[in-house]
Amino acid sequence: MNLFVLLGIAAVMVLIQQVLTRWIQLNRIAWLGIWWVALWAAFSYGINPPLPNSIIVLFMAIITIALMAYLSADNEELEEARQSIVRFMVAQEYRIALVIVLLVIPAAVAAWTYASMNEAPQPPSSGRTIHPPPPSSITFAGNSIDLATANNPYRELEHTDEAAFAAHVANGRRIYFQNCFYCHGDNMQGAGMFAHGYDPLPANFNDATTIAMLQESYLFWRIAKGAPGLPSESTPWSSAMPAWELFLTEEEIWDVILFLYEYTGYEPRAQGMPH
Amino acid sequence: MRTLLPLLLIWFAYPAMAMQENDLGTEVQRAEGKEVYDIKCAHCHGYEGDANAVATSYLRPAPRDFTSGNYKFRSTESGELPTTEDIKRSIRLGMPYTSMPPWDGILSENEITGLAYYLKTFEPAFEGPYGNPTIVDIPKAPSYSDDPVHLARGREIFEANQCTDCHGINGRGNGPSAPELVDDWGFPIRPADMTKRWTFRASATREDVYRTFMTGLNGTPMPSYLQTINEEEDRWALVDYVWSLSRDEPDYGTVVSVRGQTGELELGDELFADATGTYFPIVGQIIEPGRAFYPGVNGIRVKGVYNESEIAIELQWHDMTAETEGRNHPDTDVPVFDATEPDTLTGGWSDAVAVLLPSRTPEGLERPYFMFGDSKFPMTIWYTDLATDSAVVLTGQGAGRITDNGVELERTAAYEDGVWTVRLKGSRTLGDYRMQESAFVPISFTAWDGFNAERGNKRGLSAWYHLYLEPMETESAALPMAKWFLIVLVAEVAIVGLVRFRARRRKKT
Ligand code: HEC
Ligand code: HEC
Ligand code: HEC
Repeated sequence: MNLFVLLGIAAVMVLIQQVLTRWIQLNRIAWLGIWWVALWAAFSYGINPPLPNSIIVLFMAIITIALMAYLSADNEELEEARQSIVRFMVAQEYRIALVIVLLVIPAAVAAWTYASMNEAPQPPSSGRTIHPPPPSSITFAGNSIDLATANNPYRELEHTDEAAFAAHVANGRRIYFQNCFYCHGDNMQGAGMFAHGYDPLPANFNDATTIAMLQESYLFWRIAKGAPGLPSESTPWSSAMPAWELFLTEEEIWDVILFLYEYTGYEPRAQGMPH
Repeated sequence: MRTLLPLLLIWFAYPAMAMQENDLGTEVQRAEGKEVYDIKCAHCHGYEGDANAVATSYLRPAPRDFTSGNYKFRSTESGELPTTEDIKRSIRLGMPYTSMPPWDGILSENEITGLAYYLKTFEPAFEGPYGNPTIVDIPKAPSYSDDPVHLARGREIFEANQCTDCHGINGRGNGPSAPELVDDWGFPIRPADMTKRWTFRASATREDVYRTFMTGLNGTPMPSYLQTINEEEDRWALVDYVWSLSRDEPDYGTVVSVRGQTGELELGDELFADATGTYFPIVGQIIEPGRAFYPGVNGIRVKGVYNESEIAIELQWHDMTAETEGRNHPDTDVPVFDATEPDTLTGGWSDAVAVLLPSRTPEGLERPYFMFGDSKFPMTIWYTDLATDSAVVLTGQGAGRITDNGVELERTAAYEDGVWTVRLKGSRTLGDYRMQESAFVPISFTAWDGFNAERGNKRGLSAWYHLYLEPMETESAALPMAKWFLIVLVAEVAIVGLVRFRARRRKKT
């Protein structure tokens, strides 16, 4: 969102409504034209990162149809609009204005042609699936782990043995700060010291759409198998997420998972609920 | 130790100073600080503040040892302790391009204040007379001037005060003393690269640069020039000279656009003279065994030109020293965790660089795994070891699975004043894949800094970016513009004519 641009557009609209109309009578068609331009400006300059041109063209087509439908909903108004257009084209007093309009429209089309031919070409953008369905089971260090039923074996210590639980979390902290924070960041916001060099960016665990809505077994899969374990709709070839089975034991992975939840304050999604 | 001596002198010389109240905060503030510290800071700075912690051995620069009393960022004289406000500022802003993150917006003002007071408890000197350090007055910066005489004066001061010894004649961090510098804890330390001020630890406004050379950075070889550069005008001339060497922010891009030309590509300055380069970030390979937690290279500038059959690529990056002896190879063995101290090993490993490309036509978004490829989709690696005078084409199917194609590339390489310039020329055809005109080709880069013991998979790397081959001939827009202008105009005139015709008829009847 480019708040300043959007506010600017709104301000201009208010100005037209409140001030300009004191001197000039604006009929329905002029209003629709103003709305059209305002919406176009909002889509083109008010959104960050900018929308691709094709999307803007699509939106504007929909808006044009909507505005036409609005206009034609009332017969009287439609007739009034039709008459004012005809008057503009026929009456002597509008001659100069008509010539100007007749020239401005093709000039605008020519300018648009120029702009679209000189547009910097865009590389193919990657629409990757962030959370693909996990496989039903994985092998870890030679053992098969069923992801549908796997649970963090240390989670229940939270209620049965606080000291042991704290020791697992502390171990998770050690693992995180020896291995993960370069990418996922100190505060788990995905803004580590190396994050700017990777694409896609490392996951932000504070965001409600990552670990807060995932099961611990899902995290186990993602951490153990990393990017190479992803299906192709998730662009495994470009993600920097390491396959931690190369470095960590099963216990260490469950410990770091405990730490991720402890540090962000989220609860894992319960086992058995769909992803 | 180095800081303690002047402190002791002050202790004996001015006992009256102890009378002033030290800013140590309240019991409650320190306790609140400790609570936050143990959760957010202790894993790097140590529970005892002595930087003896789980992450320490992976980090260069090492996390600050607060029991030393040495703070880089201070508004106080060289060797003295920082003020509470100084510590708070470091916590707020962090130290860019190190692992010390900015805490602004994450911790509250109260928490940061509490932390600053708690950090002071690790060094008893804060409670003594030097707990009230002498502030160096930093005047408001006059507006920046790029007047050549003023900047030339700045440069003169830069050279006269031997900033060049460490920072290099053009400020690229490659001075003659640079490779030997160590900090007070015995760790190798590199002088700042003045052409990349976004990497400055203690921020990089003009006041910050002024403060840095006035106060020095305690615990590092970066000295204070409070007593040596005396004229206010000279100080700002120096600031503006340093300022003139760098842009504000790195101009990282994602596409390197390559011009086409007909005829021979002669590897030389001229070929790339009017090519616009693109700058890409380089970060540590910390994904597979042999991780590089503190790579020596942090960015690479890339240019290119192509003709009917070949493509030439120029790679430029800053390097403190050129390692042109020894050897290197993407397949060189590295231990899972390489404990070699950085920046200490010379002669063993040479500098090297590689351009990584797909080895067949990518379908859709598919490409080789960016870590040297995989068995399903191998990668073509244009590799050159800068201790040799050749470049080769390798095929990568992952680390440890790299084979030589027996194809040589044309190459030139030069190291000049802290900058490596390497040019490679090879075929536009990779296996059965031809880099087409007007097409985007996935491309990625790897740089090895031999001085930093980088070899094999211990390296600086980039993500996948794109190479774009600009069409040889661009279509002129004039004709389509004229065409559309006329089409629309004729349509309009026809509509208006029709409407008028009908209106006239209606009037008649
Ligand atoms: C080299 C950078 C890097 C390191 C180091 C790293 N990660 Fe990641 N991680 C990523 C990236 C990039 C993503 C997002 C892309 C993806 O999903 O593969 C990610 C995604 C994840 C996800 C998936 C989140 C989700 O919402 O699906 C988890 C969980 C995760 N990382 C945990 C960890 C843990 C735990 C560690 C340390 C043991 C770690 N990561 C270390 C780069 C890294
Ligand atoms: C991931 C590791 C890490 C964490 C977590 C961390 N720091 Fe740091 N910190 C560092 C490193 C590394 C340095 C040294 C940077 C340098 O020397 O350039 C540093 C330096 C500092 C400095 C010294 C500034 C100076 O002027 O020399 C202060 C103060 C500091 N940290 C406070 C904190 C506080 C308070 C926290 C917790 C809120 C914290 N740090 C958390 C790694 C960390
Ligand atoms: C003896 C070597 C040496 C000399 C001489 C020297 N510097 Fe430095 N300088 C360093 C080192 C080392 C660093 C990096 C400190 C760090 O990374 O913490 C540095 C860092 C800097 C920085 C960046 C500070 C920051 O926030 O990271 C600036 C600016 C600077 N020096 C300016 C100067 C100027 C101006 C001079 C001459 C008047 C000078 N230096 C002379 C060694 C030196």
